[in-house]
Amino acid sequence: MADAAWARATLANATALETLGLETASRLDLVPVLPALRPVVPGLRPGSVVGLAGTGSASLGLALVAGVSQHGGESGTGGWCAVVGMPEFGVAAAVGMGAEPGRLLLVDEPDGRWPDVVAALIEAVDLVLVRPPERPGTAAVRRLSALARKHGRVLTVTGHDWPGTAIRLRVDQAEWIGLGDGHGRLRGRRARIVAEGRGVPGAGRHTWVWLPGPNGEVASYEPAVAGDLRPVERQPDGTRTVLEVVRETPGEDVA
Amino acid sequence: MSRTLVVWCPDWPVTAVGIEATTAGAVVVQGRVAACSAAARAAGVRRRQRVRDAQRRCPDLVVRERDTDAEGRLFETVVDAVAALTPKVEIVRPGMCAIAARGAARFYGGEESLRLMVQDAVVEAGFDCGAGVADGLFAAELAARTEEGGTVVPPGGAAGFLAPYPLSVLGRPELADLLARLGIRTLGAFAALPSGHVAGRFGADGALAQRLARGEEPRPLAPGHAAVDLSVRDEFDPPAAQADQVVFAAKRLAGELHEGLGAGGLTCVRLAVEVGFADGHVLERLWRHDGLLSTLAIAERVRWQLSAWRSERPTPGTDADGIELPGDEQAVWGGVAWLELTPDQLVPDEGRQQALWGQSSVTDRIARAADRVQALLGHRGITRPVLTGGRGPGEQVTKVPVGDLVPGGIPDGPWPGRIPAPAPASVPAASLSAEVTDASGAPVMVSARCTLSAPPARVSFDGRPSVAVTSWTGPWPVDERWWDPARSQRRARFQAVTDDGRAFLLAVEGGRWLVEATYD
Repeated sequence: MADAAWARATLANATALETLGLETASRLDLVPVLPALRPVVPGLRPGSVVGLAGTGSASLGLALVAGVSQHGGESGTGGWCAVVGMPEFGVAAAVGMGAEPGRLLLVDEPDGRWPDVVAALIEAVDLVLVRPPERPGTAAVRRLSALARKHGRVLTVTGHDWPGTAIRLRVDQAEWIGLGDGHGRLRGRRARIVAEGRGVPGAGRHTWVWLPGPNGEVASYEPAVAGDLRPVERQPDGTRTVLEVVRETPGEDVA
Repeated sequence: MSRTLVVWCPDWPVTAVGIEATTAGAVVVQGRVAACSAAARAAGVRRRQRVRDAQRRCPDLVVRERDTDAEGRLFETVVDAVAALTPKVEIVRPGMCAIAARGAARFYGGEESLRLMVQDAVVEAGFDCGAGVADGLFAAELAARTEEGGTVVPPGGAAGFLAPYPLSVLGRPELADLLARLGIRTLGAFAALPSGHVAGRFGADGALAQRLARGEEPRPLAPGHAAVDLSVRDEFDPPAAQADQVVFAAKRLAGELHEGLGAGGLTCVRLAVEVGFADGHVLERLWRHDGLLSTLAIAERVRWQLSAWRSERPTPGTDADGIELPGDEQAVWGGVAWLELTPDQLVPDEGRQQALWGQSSVTDRIARAADRVQALLGHRGITRPVLTGGRGPGEQVTKVPVGDLVPGGIPDGPWPGRIPAPAPASVPAASLSAEVTDASGAPVMVSARCTLSAPPARVSFDGRPSVAVTSWTGPWPVDERWWDPARSQRRARFQAVTDDGRAFLLAVEGGRWLVEATYD
């Protein structure tokens, strides 16, 4: 059941990608995001600052890194990303979303030198994801925003408020799928992503996505087909669907 | 930082051609002075002077053509004198050799007494020399060149010792010239510059020179050994009787060695040359060099080693059993049966960006940014992730410092019991502690047979207020590396979703609950 639904969602995703082909060609000047996020942010404007906050901000950061890593760069064959001050950054999850680990740079503990580290990296890589260890001072904000603008890079800030943020992304509704009462396994999260800020046309754009899906990918999700996607927790008589969950192994779902 | 003792013989090219320090003499290459004796220097002879100019200043100058062969051969005497005190002598070049001072100093009762002993041994062998002890090769060489035959620089004092030296000692004339025009004339002033800016302006070589000026290790050794054996070997059947034959083979072997090193993106700072003779005798020498030795340089060192061996023959013309050998000057005693070159102390080749970054090519821009971050935070400050095998979320990623080699031999087993996809988004380096309680508020326990005392109902992290568990699964037991008590791990994992919409990977080990990762 869930297999069929997942295959359908992937198919819809693939066709959406094709129709988006024309659109992406006309937007080559934008720093790309994953196709599933394009309904809410068509791309990131070079030189802008993106803010992430609340539950799900870690996954959103991973998804932005994966988008640049997969579709970014000068010829669109893959861009470089740097992650500063986030030793817990889930590299395996980012790779599952499509990131290329060979084009990732990690600075785990910049401590007090984080503005210098970000300044050095923002000249070189397409996207810097940073969690400042302290509340960023006015001087650091002004300097790093100016550097991002000058070099046309994207600065993504999580954990602290950053004045002058163009786009704020957050997850406002989310539901984990796959766990029962003592059985099953986490299979994915359906999440509604909301974009706010002056960089977004039309207030409060939102979209439903799998963040992440059963394979670890970010895929668009249509609530219309949600009925048959929730077998585990909606058993009317309370019988456990142990067999169904155990049967599936990761990687086979879309094969 | 390793304590190093350097033995330095002044004006070695001059000594090697048989000119005493008290007679004015010079060694010339292509009509220019390559080295001169102390007496000649006092008369105004300098390096790189034309012979005609030198002779005008010092009319009774003894002029000889440079003989690198003799330099290498004669220096063996010095090396043998030092090796009688402590083994593992590294020859930096003819005229200078180094030993690791730590163990030897303890054995001979202190660094100063070791220094004097080594110096006496070399002087007894018939050569003037200076000996110095300091942190690292660069500072030790300068310590050996100080007045009165060298000195001991105390541990950690290298930066202060180096500070008054002029920039010319770095051996980088272009850099020294540019810095002098910027008003920087001593190593101390150069060391005081912010390292990030030096790396940004002068590149990797400038950063390396600054590390030298600060009395730091020029480049850190790559941790761990190379997984593959990169040594090359050639057998001679019948044994080679002519030195030329061996040197010719050495040149070819050196080419093979370079190919092997180049394929791994490596270079070696020390080369071991082993020559095996037909009578079973093995002659081994370590040659040290910053950067890769060229094939010609390797062949030259093999020639030095062989010619030294010839000169060591007890009585020319007979071997140990007194059997007559051909009186040919080129004859190698007993014949060389095999020759082996082994690269020692491998470091990543920083000269080749393509190889350094593995499969993805890198622009100068990225390499420069990484250099700047490393100058700010140290070598391990910026890393690249490499996916490796493993069951837990923290084990699946290895972070390799930029510039180091990606570890080889990553196991790609099926990993039964691996945490299924999707992978957690947030994997802290150290697991947080947690409290898991059942509906009645009692802690949830997992027995040795992996049965739960009660289903988990509430969980609290790091002593914060508890939240209700809406759904959960587990336990998934893992019992890893039980054969190795230090690294063994026996835990049971759970996935849980709490009522605030978050999902966690929990683990219980030895009765303690941990949060291994968060599916944020």
